[in-house]
Amino acid sequence: MFDILDMGASGLVAQRIRLDTIAGNIANMNTTHDAQGRVSPYRRRFVVFAPGQADDPSQPGVHVQSIQEDQSPFIRKYDPGNPDAGKDGYVELPNVDMTIEFVNALEASRAYEANVTMMETAKSMISSDLRLLA
Amino acid sequence: MFIDRLLNEDSSPLLEQWLKFTDARAELLGDDVVNASTPGYKQKDLSVDAFQKQLESHLETSETASPGSVSFDDINFDSDSATGGILFHDQNNRSMEQLMTDQAKNALMHNLAVELLRQQYSILTAALSEKA
Repeated sequence: MFDILDMGASGLVAQRIRLDTIAGNIANMNTTHDAQGRVSPYRRRFVVFAPGQADDPSQPGVHVQSIQEDQSPFIRKYDPGNPDAGKDGYVELPNVDMTIEFVNALEASRAYEANVTMMETAKSMISSDLRLLA
Repeated sequence: MFIDRLLNEDSSPLLEQWLKFTDARAELLGDDVVNASTPGYKQKDLSVDAFQKQLESHLETSETASPGSVSFDDINFDSDSATGGILFHDQNNRSMEQLMTDQAKNALMHNLAVELLRQQYSILTAALSEKA
């Protein structure tokens, strides 16, 4: 019975990592350089979920299997005055779409809430079980 | 055994199975909720109808048999996958509304069974202590 709470916790962790990744994407919407200062637009990242606990996939739950980079083409913007612009005058900007990120963030936070509700329900069941013993 | 008969009379064994069923179902429904965004995940559930039919047939047998002689331990929980929603692009057939409703119903069924079992136990304690 207590497994349900572990399961809920795994869901909360997974959804939080997802939300962290989305926050990173939005924060880096206009990042055109990498950490070493080279011109390299930021690539959108996304999480991939897989069923099962992170340390033991045979246990019920969910975990983040990997965080992958979106290989779709960068957004190209005509800005010849920009020092990062290529010979044709276009600057490559990160492939982050604000709308997609917001929709995903909303879904992640709703899923987080669903997990919390699930845990509350499980807790009410456990506490009524305990009343049986007392 | 006298004590076996005492404990297995009335609906106690039935309620015990009921609790086991709601516990097992809560776990599956919980797994469905945490995997609501997992690509390719298929919703899992236990069949309430199949379980209730088994309870019913056991109850019918126990009504004619001597008290405590019918075991409820051989009731098995059949899995049921028909309650999922439409298949999304990520090959997941989640249906959050259905899931949350089932979960709430399951928890209420569980709490009801606990309450009934508590009553049975308090009757038993009263009988044993000869105090109402």
